Amino acid sequence: MIAALREFTDRALGRGEAAITVPPFDGALKPNQLLEEAAVVAELDAPEDLATDGRSLFVSDGSRLLRLDGSQLHEAERLDRIITALACRSDGGFAIALEGKEVRIRGGKDDGKRWQEAAGQPFCAINALAVTPNGKLIATDGSARHSYNEWSHDLMSLGCTGRLLEIDPVSGARSVIADGLGYAFGACSAGDEIWVCESWRHRLVRYGGSGSGSVLDRLPGYPSRIAPAADGGFWLSVFAARTQLVEFVLRETAYRKRMMAEVEPQYWIAPTLSSGRTFLEPMQGAHIKTMGILKPWAPPRSYGLVIRLSSEGLPRYSLHSRVDGKNHGVVAAVECGGSLFVLAKGSRRLLRLPIADIERSLLP
Amino acid sequence: MTNPVLELRQATKKYAGVPAIDSVDFTLMPGEIHALVGENGAGKSTLTKVMAGVVTLTSGQMLIEGKEVNPRTPTEARHLGVAMVFQENSLVPTMTVAQNLFLGQEQFFNRLRGIYIAAQQFLQSLNFDVAPTATVSLLGAAKKQMVEIARAVLHNVKIIIFDEPTASLTPEEKKYFFDLMLELKKRGVSIVFISHALEEALQIADRITILRDGKHVITDWKQNFDRARIVRAMVGRDLSQTLYGRRKTKVRPAGRRVLSIQNLRMANMVKNNSLSVFAGQVTGIFGLVGAGRTETFKVVAGVIKRDFFHGGEVLLHDRPTRYLVPAPAIRDGVVYVTEDRKVEGFFETMSIAQNLYMGLLAKLGKKRSFLSKSEADGLADKWVKALNIRATGKDVKVVELSGGNQQKVVIAKSLVQEPELIIFDEPTRGVDVGAIAEIHQLINKLADEGKAVVVISSYLPEVMAISDRILVSRQGKVVEEFSALEATEEKIMYAAVH
Repeated sequence: MIAALREFTDRALGRGEAAITVPPFDGALKPNQLLEEAAVVAELDAPEDLATDGRSLFVSDGSRLLRLDGSQLHEAERLDRIITALACRSDGGFAIALEGKEVRIRGGKDDGKRWQEAAGQPFCAINALAVTPNGKLIATDGSARHSYNEWSHDLMSLGCTGRLLEIDPVSGARSVIADGLGYAFGACSAGDEIWVCESWRHRLVRYGGSGSGSVLDRLPGYPSRIAPAADGGFWLSVFAARTQLVEFVLRETAYRKRMMAEVEPQYWIAPTLSSGRTFLEPMQGAHIKTMGILKPWAPPRSYGLVIRLSSEGLPRYSLHSRVDGKNHGVVAAVECGGSLFVLAKGSRRLLRLPIADIERSLLP
Repeated sequence: MTNPVLELRQATKKYAGVPAIDSVDFTLMPGEIHALVGENGAGKSTLTKVMAGVVTLTSGQMLIEGKEVNPRTPTEARHLGVAMVFQENSLVPTMTVAQNLFLGQEQFFNRLRGIYIAAQQFLQSLNFDVAPTATVSLLGAAKKQMVEIARAVLHNVKIIIFDEPTASLTPEEKKYFFDLMLELKKRGVSIVFISHALEEALQIADRITILRDGKHVITDWKQNFDRARIVRAMVGRDLSQTLYGRRKTKVRPAGRRVLSIQNLRMANMVKNNSLSVFAGQVTGIFGLVGAGRTETFKVVAGVIKRDFFHGGEVLLHDRPTRYLVPAPAIRDGVVYVTEDRKVEGFFETMSIAQNLYMGLLAKLGKKRSFLSKSEADGLADKWVKALNIRATGKDVKVVELSGGNQQKVVIAKSLVQEPELIIFDEPTRGVDVGAIAEIHQLINKLADEGKAVVVISSYLPEVMAISDRILVSRQGKVVEEFSALEATEEKIMYAAVH
């Protein structure tokens, strides 16, 4: 009863859960243009994920698996369906998610093994894979209701059916480490723990070790895949920035339902991986012009962001492509050979930034 | 060549021996709009107050139409043809527009209808769209300002001074207000206006005068200025021989986020403000008057309340908080060291020891049922020594201390509460140079100990010297962030005014 009353007053007064607020991009998240200025390694057709075995970089592009040799991409494999997630195994093989509905091993000693469900529930939107130090696979299944490509449907229906899964490729055993996640998107092992991104709750959560809890909370964007950094810590990609407008729409159930029923998904008031292609896109409602001066910022519909985390999960610095940029919708960032490779799905580009250069320009 | 309608020669005004304006020369031509620009404390308000008879010159001359004058009250200045329109207008809110216009000119028998007709005609002649029968309290900010202006014109003033006239106006009202200024100019009225918005000065003024640290820097025609030149003139001081001469070469890395302010709103002072404060760092907040810095952090500390509806969020260690009074904030480790120590900082007739003990009691609340003199003395001994408070004893009344030592008492009173987040609002205002260095050392020590420290300051060199990161606030929200290593006075001032 008291909770219901509180919810009612919160909604009326715009407080608590009903406060339409967004954390600022400041401190370690202070905007820059590093992603926008990054070297473009390749322009791809349908890039989805990156992986590295420590020597080479692998990129999934539609149903193709590409390997980066020097500055050229070469086809390493071609599969029968779209690759939605990718991880390199220590035996030289790959773990691959196909259309979000199947996890398959290619190459190595477990070649050909495949799984379509865990705990009796079929995979629906497997969007990230990682390998633990003991050789097991970690997978995130974003949603049990919406397919991999329908992530914005899941956000707009306030989905919380994501799962964090563990797969033993040797025995084939699958277990659910966590469920009820607000779109699980990206995970990796951190010591004896597993860290998983919950995109719709804008946080990074840990499981295992000493229980579960939040590592990094209240991010100003929607986190996606996470990968280890060579000298400790992690690279966290963020595929879109939060805005007050979207937060407002998420709290307006009737409006949201009608929007979903009547408007084409690409024109929803929702985060997107790229924007500015058509005038039909929703306005973001900012004071762009003040006293006749065009401001260099505005609440973004799409954004590019990679956050460097310390080994404790604290942001150290970040790389941005701002509202006027192109390299938006960053879904993966992987370190390989002294460089950071970033997949900007919005512009379908693979970017490369020497880490020494990043740190020189961002660290005091 | 036309003679100036108003002239100040070598104008100096000192407060307690400290010059607020120092040997300033200023001329105002007939029918001219003259913008006064400068940082906080540059002397703009003092200069205009001298013109309006609010304060008198310590030395120097003031001439109106070539005749030396010395108005000692605003009424005297008004008789000389000078009127000042303050930010907080001086209208009687419960009276009508017409009654306010003719206030002070009433006769023994007044015919209200006659006043309304006269007011209507007069307002129409000025092209002011205000109903003479409207009650002033029901008017918007721009219309109130119109009534103030009309009243000044009615008194046949030749010079009108506006102090930050556009601060409370909406963009539409601002445009209307500028049209009014041009209308007055056409009638031959000279206007002096203070503004923190450079665009306004460049848009409306004929000439611009820039003051810095109480001194005249430059006066020139609008077309000879651009934003960069104004900003350079506002901040271009030589600091090599001062406390702030050394540039920061190293900044502390950010620790955990202690405070996150998200989309905070408080009346028209704080507008959708968002910022974070991290442990182990000094976060400097710079902004000009009306930037909403003090109000933002007073909301954080529970001194004032945010908007009742959709007031945004304040998160302390990622936990939403909404302090209605300071006591729970103090218990949660948030302290606010006020900018106005004499009013809000200490009990002036109580001793140092008693003041410090009050700080502890504010934290402990009901946990201390009985007062302990020995505890108060112990506390005073510790903090008088730690902060080097110079007094003949801990039982000395705070009112008897110097400004610097009073400020140390205020700081100590907050530090006895063992805070995690310390907000210093103008910590070195009215403090001697020696004490400034000690207060800066203390602030640095607190950050080195891992505390989250916020320093709000209107003095740019101070912000740059002490901060690890600098947030620039403008018109109610943070508009720019700089690392101390990349910040320059020009960059910060540009963000604050642009």
